[in-house]
Amino acid sequence: MHMATTLTINGETKSFDAPPDMPLLWVLRDILGMTGTKFGCGIAQCGACTVHVDGKAVRSCVLPVSAVANRVITTIEHVGTTPAGAKVQKAWLEAEVVQCGYCQSGQIMSAAALLAATPNPDDSDIDAAMAGNICRCGTYVRIREAIKQAANGRQS
Amino acid sequence: MSGKMRILTSLIVIALVVAALGVWIIRGPGPLDFAGGTKVALADYRAGKPTGVPAKLEKASLVERGEYLAKAADCMVCHTKPGEKDYAGGLAFKLPFGTLYSTNITPDKDTGIGNYSDQDFLGAVQHGKRRDGARLYPAMPYTSYTFMTDEDVLAVKAYLFSLPAVRAEAPENTLSFPFNQRWAMIVWSAVFNPDTRFAPDTSKSPEWNRGAYLAEALAHCGECHTPRNLGFALDNRRKFGGAITAGWRAFNVSSERATGLGNWSDADLVSYLSLGHAPGHGSASGPMGEAVDHSFSQFAPEDISSIVAYLRSVPPQPSPDLPATTAPVAPASHKDGVTADARGKKVFASACASCHGWSGESPVSPMATLTGTWAVNDPAATNVAQIVISGTKRHTPDGALSMPAFGNAYTDDEIAAVANYVTGRFGTKGSKLTAKDVAELREQTAE
Repeated sequence: MHMATTLTINGETKSFDAPPDMPLLWVLRDILGMTGTKFGCGIAQCGACTVHVDGKAVRSCVLPVSAVANRVITTIEHVGTTPAGAKVQKAWLEAEVVQCGYCQSGQIMSAAALLAATPNPDDSDIDAAMAGNICRCGTYVRIREAIKQAANGRQS
Repeated sequence: MSGKMRILTSLIVIALVVAALGVWIIRGPGPLDFAGGTKVALADYRAGKPTGVPAKLEKASLVERGEYLAKAADCMVCHTKPGEKDYAGGLAFKLPFGTLYSTNITPDKDTGIGNYSDQDFLGAVQHGKRRDGARLYPAMPYTSYTFMTDEDVLAVKAYLFSLPAVRAEAPENTLSFPFNQRWAMIVWSAVFNPDTRFAPDTSKSPEWNRGAYLAEALAHCGECHTPRNLGFALDNRRKFGGAITAGWRAFNVSSERATGLGNWSDADLVSYLSLGHAPGHGSASGPMGEAVDHSFSQFAPEDISSIVAYLRSVPPQPSPDLPATTAPVAPASHKDGVTADARGKKVFASACASCHGWSGESPVSPMATLTGTWAVNDPAATNVAQIVISGTKRHTPDGALSMPAFGNAYTDDEIAAVANYVTGRFGTKGSKLTAKDVAELREQTAE
């Protein structure tokens, strides 16, 4: 059963037909063509599909679209316009974090949500916020470094 | 009579009286004795119709009525092995004294119940007697189904016989001595099967009587929620006080305010039974999730209301091992709150936090909120460990929501650690599960 749904994504109002139990990730990628957010595991265990809902990092692969009406959704395409997102993206480039890149949209979304809530995270804050985002290239060391750079606003 | 004979006779009489008294004490009251009112035969009850199907199905065919009743009695969950054909049996019940397998109740003549006459079927469902005369083990809840009317039992039979016959032989039971002696169930049955049909209580409302019939004769709530006595039969002195069944904790569903249903609103109970979720009280999973999916969610709304009316009347039973109140929401930051188990925290951060949040209030769905649930407030962490092992899938009007099974991804040590962390952070008192406890919980799950 499809339903007319309207969501606020990246500050824009988007209307489309989708079954109410369709995960937000499918809506983003397959219906709206916003492919910056990646599909990894489909069971909220890898973090590749992370988006922000009301500023919090949420795995869009398990989030039914019916659950996010009237909530503010931000994706990787737009996170650079938020203060924390801009800092994270800049630090990511300076620290050359990315290797293959597949997990990085999710990593950046989680890191941006972390810095928005905790501007000066220590290692345990980074562990708690980032543990659910896995990177098979093993860029964890550079991710941690970039988060600290983004927090301090300095270059290494 | 000589003096010796007299003494011997006296001793025998005393022994018999003591034995009878012992049986009487162990057996205790029947499931509906708490109500205390005047019981009348169903035929003499004029205030309403507690048995049968809801009004909307009154005119339906026998098979359709049987389908409703078979779902209300939740036959399918036990008589189906996951991934196999419906009603073809083979589900393994792991008991401390061996494994029992459910039987094929499709109309297959060789391996199912295709040769059962109406009398044979009534014998099995109400009296625990197989067509060949052998006794059923009480894993088949015939001590509950015995309260069903003949008409309702035979409607279920008509429904089952309308289904495709499936050829499927159930594996042999592996019970150890003396539990492998089926004949002993003759004695068990004589003591513990009330072997009587439902008798309405004229001191109660028609709604209550309908609820009593649904809960006791069909839904057999007590089979999981009532503790068992020395004879492994239901101990109705502690009716609905909660028990462990198939490795999951069935919580207190008596009217007790702190740990039972006393402080649940009617809307909470209706929502929990029909959708498997009540805001602030958590979601049904494990065996209760199956009961909701295959049984309660199919009930007519007035039948759900009747069950709620009946549940309200069950006298309060304490659950002394549970806290008087559930814990409030945990702090938003991972740094605050209980963080005793460092390893558990690591697992939680990697696998759980993204859906359940550090506060216990899920950013994904109220169905995944941990705060306020008995599972995380149970210091034994039984259901927390079970749901981590086997995951869950909830169906709602808006679609399905699921939690993956982590039983193959994490070791018993890691599952114990995360269960201890979760109960410590989101519950009132943290659990102290060990890897051995988790291994034992895995062993008890039906499969």
